[in-house]
Amino acid sequence: MSKASFLERRQAPKESISVTIFITALAIILALLFGSLLFLPFGVDPFNAYSTMVELGFGTLRGIGYTLIKATPLIFVGLGTIFAWRSGFFYLGFEGTILIGAAAAVWIALLTDPEGAIGPLPRLLFLLLVFLVSFVAGGIWAGIVGVMRGKFGGNEVILSLMMNFVALFLVNYLVSGPLRAPGDLPQTPRIPQATILDFIIPGTRAHSGILLALFAAIVVWFVLRKTTIGYKQIVAGLSPRAAWYGGINVGNRVILAAFIGGGLGAMAGMVEVLGVHFRLLDGLGEGTGFVGIVAALLGKLHSIGVVIASILYAGMEVGADVMQRRSGVPSSVIFVIQSLIVLFILASDILRYYRINLSKLFGNDRGKKTLEVDSST
Amino acid sequence: MGLEQLFTSAFLITWLAASVRLAGPVLLAALGEIFDELGGILNIGIEGTILFGALTSFLISFLIGNAWLGILGAIIVGIISNLFLAWMYITVRANQVVVGIIFNLLALGLTSYTFRAVLGTQARPQKATMIETLDIPILSDLPFFGPVFFSHSIFLYITIALVFVSGFVLYRTKFGLKLRAVGEHPRAADTAGINVMKMRYIGVMISGAAASLAGAYLVLGQLGIFRDNIVSGRGFIALAIVIFGRWNPYKAALAALVFGAADALQLSLQIFAFKIPPQVLLSLPYFLTILAMSGLMGKAVQPAALLKPYNKN
Repeated sequence: MSKASFLERRQAPKESISVTIFITALAIILALLFGSLLFLPFGVDPFNAYSTMVELGFGTLRGIGYTLIKATPLIFVGLGTIFAWRSGFFYLGFEGTILIGAAAAVWIALLTDPEGAIGPLPRLLFLLLVFLVSFVAGGIWAGIVGVMRGKFGGNEVILSLMMNFVALFLVNYLVSGPLRAPGDLPQTPRIPQATILDFIIPGTRAHSGILLALFAAIVVWFVLRKTTIGYKQIVAGLSPRAAWYGGINVGNRVILAAFIGGGLGAMAGMVEVLGVHFRLLDGLGEGTGFVGIVAALLGKLHSIGVVIASILYAGMEVGADVMQRRSGVPSSVIFVIQSLIVLFILASDILRYYRINLSKLFGNDRGKKTLEVDSST
Repeated sequence: MGLEQLFTSAFLITWLAASVRLAGPVLLAALGEIFDELGGILNIGIEGTILFGALTSFLISFLIGNAWLGILGAIIVGIISNLFLAWMYITVRANQVVVGIIFNLLALGLTSYTFRAVLGTQARPQKATMIETLDIPILSDLPFFGPVFFSHSIFLYITIALVFVSGFVLYRTKFGLKLRAVGEHPRAADTAGINVMKMRYIGVMISGAAASLAGAYLVLGQLGIFRDNIVSGRGFIALAIVIFGRWNPYKAALAALVFGAADALQLSLQIFAFKIPPQVLLSLPYFLTILAMSGLMGKAVQPAALLKPYNKN
């Protein structure tokens, strides 16, 4: 290090909790500051805009309803990301599993139409059936990539991106061919009224999917943290070689990670069709498969973190949508802010390698005090 | 119409010309991606970079009326945005996959925002000044080969030239050798006195320039307009082409042609009353890429240090 520099390089990155909190807060503030520049061309006061957005997303019953609707698929994708990525399986195919899960759910729902092949089912039986079929369909879809990686050494990053396209074409085929409803639009018929998820907050369109998502979050947390299976998954993810020496079949762990991750991703598609769209259509859930991954990263790949991050993201999106209609600020500002937060958090990791030397900063050596990055240690 | 018309030369010419046209932009982006992947960086951010290039070239060409300035602007934006990506990948050593997908979301938000901020929220699609098609004298009059290869946008000729330039640079120059060394065994390359960081930075910047130029190609050479979903996965297709082409510019050109041909064939087949769903043809190249990457046909010979950050200490 040169003498003039007030930044001193550390030998090892600092990993204390206070540093993490400091860095995360810094990243969020920076992202919000950068985002506030985007409001200026529209003559909107950024601080006013942020508080309005929060109010619109979380302050009214209507807003909360929309926020929960938007958060539900994000939570499922986020949970899928946790399970897969913690097991060392960097799956990016959630756009695909959403479509597959949605297709499977609509297919089952249409079969239970009074004129369908199965006919009406008791409510509970239907829900169990649709959950199972949708989960397994998404699980197998992602599981294909899991087998290619776990058994044959394929690269899951590229494979899952390619599978997204295949799912897109598959759904495109279904809605323009075998499942197409009469009419101009490529979409399936509406699913029977009896198969639609219950609305849970009077006066809003919030559906029971959020309850399933919260339940899933608890299950994922429990399995990864408190069971042997979860332990093996995480060890296989942290250090495949050590896991292998310890007698864990890493290949099988990868396949299980893919199956569960894909199944959770499929749930995002299922709740979207049973709770929001009521039919299968092109362009369903576009982008959710990636935003959910980002929410998972912001939530530090922890179940509770993912739920919080997803609800925050969803609320900001709802607020931004209303704001676009009111003041003309494009709602896409929120995607900029969302991605900047995570990018800055990633980038600020580099701060862990430095400490600030105050005496050099101010050019005197009166006090030899050294300010740590977090100023607390 | 029936099968016999399918193979008449008019059909063939239209189909092949469309294949070449559709292959162009993705091939250009793929050529750049070869450089950073051979250096050991998987740059998933090219999807976003193409988008940045598309918007920049559109806005400059639309507002100033000069398409060439649009191209220049796109290249500059591509290099600057990828300087940031390179810093994240190489200096911060963040997870390349994570950085790439977030960068793509950022690009989606930022371009959509900028487009509306400049042209208003209710903007109707408007056409920018485009780069005109160039019929190469004499060659474009050739039967069959003329319309298929020599009656395209200038971008295509540049892209084809770049295939050979890339091939030469990667396999016949010291720079190419250094870059590949850095992607195969960075530690050994470092010991031999090669600046690993610098080589990787250069690789990512080349890919940024190429991807951004591909965005300009799309807008100024083909569509003339900008919309939010204009790129719609072409960056990911470019990634597929790199792998399908086994990190070789010449094979990548063939791979791009396969993707273009499948795309063009489903367009053409809709004219005929054909029983194959178009989606089957459309997904065929992806199946081929999946097969190539699956490990079922032997391990894909990707650069050994791909996705592995390098720490000098």
